[in-house]
Amino acid sequence: MKTIRIKALAVLSVTLGLTFVFAVLAQAKGDDFNSIVKLIEHFYGVKHQGIPFLAKAGMKVTTTAAKIKGGSAKRLAEAGSVKVAFFEDQTFAGDFTRFRSSLNAALSQTWTPLIQTLSATDKEQTYIFVREADAKYNVLVITIEQREATVVQVTLSPQNLLLLMKDPEGTGKNITQEATIIDQE
Amino acid sequence: MKLLFQKLRLPLIAVALVTLAALVAQAQDPRIQTASLDHLAAKASQTVDVNIDERLIRLAAKLLSDKDSDEKEVKEIITGLKGIYVRSFEFEADGQYTAADVDSIRTQLRAPSWTRMVNVASKKEGGLEVYILMNGEQIGGLAVIATDDRELTVVNLVGPVNLDKLAKLEGQFGVPELGIEKAKPKNDQ
Repeated sequence: MKTIRIKALAVLSVTLGLTFVFAVLAQAKGDDFNSIVKLIEHFYGVKHQGIPFLAKAGMKVTTTAAKIKGGSAKRLAEAGSVKVAFFEDQTFAGDFTRFRSSLNAALSQTWTPLIQTLSATDKEQTYIFVREADAKYNVLVITIEQREATVVQVTLSPQNLLLLMKDPEGTGKNITQEATIIDQE
Repeated sequence: MKLLFQKLRLPLIAVALVTLAALVAQAQDPRIQTASLDHLAAKASQTVDVNIDERLIRLAAKLLSDKDSDEKEVKEIITGLKGIYVRSFEFEADGQYTAADVDSIRTQLRAPSWTRMVNVASKKEGGLEVYILMNGEQIGGLAVIATDDRELTVVNLVGPVNLDKLAKLEGQFGVPELGIEKAKPKNDQ
C-alpha cells in the first residue's frame, strides 16, 4: 500500500514538473512580447499602459494620425497581428548599453536583431527584431525615449519585410506609428 | 629540465599547431568581429548596428524584382551574400574614438587573406579603406572602414561581392552612404 502511494506521488511530481517545464517553454517561445514589456518595466521601474489609455496619448499621436490619414498611408502589418504596449510620461533613465545586453540576451534564442540604434545624447533607443512565423514574419519594434517608450509586435508579409530590410530605420518608425494609430482608431 | 622539455615537446607542438590553425582560420573568416567597439556606444551621439543574415538576404533576393532595373542590380549584388553587417558611430566632438579602436578592426584584415583595395575612394571627406578577402578566384568577403573626425563606420559583407556595383547598396539594407567610387591607382600604397 505504501509502495503504491509512493509511486503515485512520484508520477504526480513528474507530471507537475513536466507541466511546469512545458508551460515555461511555451511562454518563452510564444510570448516574448510580454516578456519584453516586463523587462522594460523591471529595468526602468516603469509601468506600461494598456490600449484604452492610448486614447489619452495626446497631440503627438493625434497629429501623426492626421498626417498619415492625409498622406499615402500603406498598411504594413497583417490584419489583427498588432500588439502594442505604451509607456507614457515616465522616466527611462539607466545604462542603455546594459539594457541592450539584457534585451539581446532575452531574445537571442528565437529572434534575429535586424537593426539597433542608440543615441547617448538624446537618450533614444530603437531595436528591431525579426523571426519567421510560418510563411510570414514577426517583427518586434522597441522604441525608448527619455519620457516614453513603445513596444510593438506585428506580423509582416515577406514583401513588407523586404521594405523593412531595405530601409530598417524608416520602416521601423512607420510600423510603430501605424500600430499606435490603427489601435487608436 | 631537458627531459621535461623532451616529454612536453609533442604536446607543445600540438598546442602550437592548434593555435596557428585557429589564427589562420580567424584570419580567413569573412565575418569581422566588432565587439571591441562596443564601448564607443556610450560616447556616441548615434550608434547603428545592422545585422542581415543569410536567411534574410536569400528572402530579399527572392522578392526583389527582375523588371525594375534598380532592384535587379541590387538583387545581383546580394544574391549569394551570406551577411550584411554594419556598425556606425557618430560623435558630437572630435577625438572620441582612438587609433586603437580602428586598429582592432584593421588587425583582422591582414594579408595574405585580406587585401586592401587601393583604387577605391570616397566622394565624402574623411578616410575610406576597403578590404577584400579572396577565396580562390572569387571575393569571399568585404570590409569597409570609413573614418571621419566625428564618425566611424565599419561595413562587412560576407560572401561574393561585385565591387563595381557596391555603391548601389549604399542607402539600402542598412549600408550607409559612403560615397564609394573608383579612384586612380596610387603607387605609394
